[in-house]
Amino acid sequence: MRIPKLSSKTYWMLKKEIKEVVRSRWLLLGFIISPLFAWVFEGFFLSFIVTQSVEEAELVYYTNDDTGPWGANLIRNITGAKESLKISELIEVTKQQGDAMVENKSVTVWVYIHENFSRELEETTESNIVIWINSASIRASTTAAMIREYSYLVINEEIVIRDVKVTTYTISPEATFGHQLAIFLVMITSVLAPSPYVSKSFAGERERNTLEALLVVPMSRLKILGAKVFAGILLTMLYSIFTIVGILFYNWWIILRASALPATFANYYVNLYTINVATIPLIFFSQFLVLLCAIGIGITISTLAKDQASSESINNLVLLVPTFVVGILGFTGSILQYGGLFGLFVLAIPFSHAIIIWNSVFSGVATVFSIVGHVLYLVAFTVLFLAIGAKLFEREAIIS
Amino acid sequence: MADDPVIQTEDLTKIFEKGKKREVIALDSVNLEVERGEVFGLLGPNGAGKTTLIRLLVGLLTPTRGKAIVLGKDVTKDINYIRERVALLPQEAGIYERLTARENLVYYGGFYGIPEEELHKRADRLLDLVGLRKKEDYQVKGFSGGMKRKVLVARALIIEPQIIFMDEPTTGIDTLGARIVRNTLKKLSEEEKQTIILTTHDLNEVSELCDRVGILNEGRLVEIGKPQELEEKFKAANLEDVFTGLVTGEGVFRE
Repeated sequence: MRIPKLSSKTYWMLKKEIKEVVRSRWLLLGFIISPLFAWVFEGFFLSFIVTQSVEEAELVYYTNDDTGPWGANLIRNITGAKESLKISELIEVTKQQGDAMVENKSVTVWVYIHENFSRELEETTESNIVIWINSASIRASTTAAMIREYSYLVINEEIVIRDVKVTTYTISPEATFGHQLAIFLVMITSVLAPSPYVSKSFAGERERNTLEALLVVPMSRLKILGAKVFAGILLTMLYSIFTIVGILFYNWWIILRASALPATFANYYVNLYTINVATIPLIFFSQFLVLLCAIGIGITISTLAKDQASSESINNLVLLVPTFVVGILGFTGSILQYGGLFGLFVLAIPFSHAIIIWNSVFSGVATVFSIVGHVLYLVAFTVLFLAIGAKLFEREAIIS
Repeated sequence: MADDPVIQTEDLTKIFEKGKKREVIALDSVNLEVERGEVFGLLGPNGAGKTTLIRLLVGLLTPTRGKAIVLGKDVTKDINYIRERVALLPQEAGIYERLTARENLVYYGGFYGIPEEELHKRADRLLDLVGLRKKEDYQVKGFSGGMKRKVLVARALIIEPQIIFMDEPTTGIDTLGARIVRNTLKKLSEEEKQTIILTTHDLNEVSELCDRVGILNEGRLVEIGKPQELEEKFKAANLEDVFTGLVTGEGVFRE
């Protein structure tokens, strides 16, 4: 296969673009510092919450359908240990009420003991209780983890040969809290990362009166645009690399703070909040798509904007609003939970598709077909905006 | 046999559409010929169409009507051929402030496919010529307006163009800097037969540098000729009187 050769003119253009950015301390710091700062700060913030959350109590619902003594025994013990288990209130509900709370996602922690709990423990030495947790709530996750540990202690300490199993279901339908946070942070920082460079490179060139001389060099405008897009991609790659460094710092913070907790809690928090390093290639790839898309949109805005400051402001506004919408939807449940016009609006936002890719992979429901579909949507959106940007860059009015 | 003109326009017209109904005629049926090696000055008040004419000749704008031939090629058909051989120093031209003086020259030359080694040789010579050799490795952001202008002039010359278009090349430069630029242009014209098209408001500069001048007013080329010939034709004391008389219609010409 022949590798396309970079023409010498494009090479010089790339060299100029990159050198200018490298010499601009603030622009360079933006590419390096902002992902690091965002992740390290979030890591610090979350690890602080981890340690604080074990001190805060949570509302717990329970249903004891057990016809034998062990269910009642367990609830009695939990009631007695309310304070140490960080339970603010223990409320009995029927199974129907519990199911309804799970259905409408209003439950914090719901402990369900089924009707054959005692019989199974006595006949088979094994049984099972179910705990539903709203994993989006830090306190709920903490309290549930404590109840689970305590349940082991109560049953297994009193009858050593009997083993209780606790099945935990989360009602956040996709990814863990750590992943949701990763998605939101990666998204918000990625859409904004190319903005200063793209604005400088088009609106900024016009504002500083360097564009006119550039447009008379013997290169087609498409090639000039292409070189600038390529330089933008290279520079935002730097951003992606430091995002990964930031994620590693983030994980390190969580692990460091969680290590001060008892081993079971520590493991629980580490699993809940840290980003699985195996998913980093996926984060990198999706971030690349998001950056590319943000560059495409940014070029269109920058070729229309009067000056660099206007370009940056409009770009940030145009990109931030939909990103906040899809980012926050990711936290409150599924991005696909809304139907109708709003649902269509959410799906039309290209960044939604990056979130759907992440969520579906993290929660294990992704198929190659669905991933390719979402990638194609993002790519098509990017190509469309790059084409619009190229058309606008070709206008005579670009120099006036 | 005399060479063909390096620039030739026929009824060159540019109309800008401002909104759906309003049109602005920036250049109206301009017929012009510039010979190889000539220094041609374009004079005119602000908004007369000087910059539009230059932009049409380098292909930044497309003519609404008429034709422009540069170096024997039609600007609407062979613009890359033309761009390989001409340099533009735009009015209020900006410079890449985070690059050094040398980098500004070398990068610009790189866009023309000139080998790097050759670019550095030319940069040495040009930086000497404009008196910035000692500051060649300084980022341009710390330079004065005049020094930046000198870098821009050197940048335009690094590609050794057959034609240089200069839109007010000495605007904003101190007296000494302006003198260096003028001497550079004069040397290029006399020794290397460089074709230079320049716009300026400085009539002394025109008298000193230009072989011929064209006076533009409201998009029309109202007069063309050698400065001295124009003074004689209009019986004016100097070129300023010719210019003022043609543009304002006031009787400043001698009886």
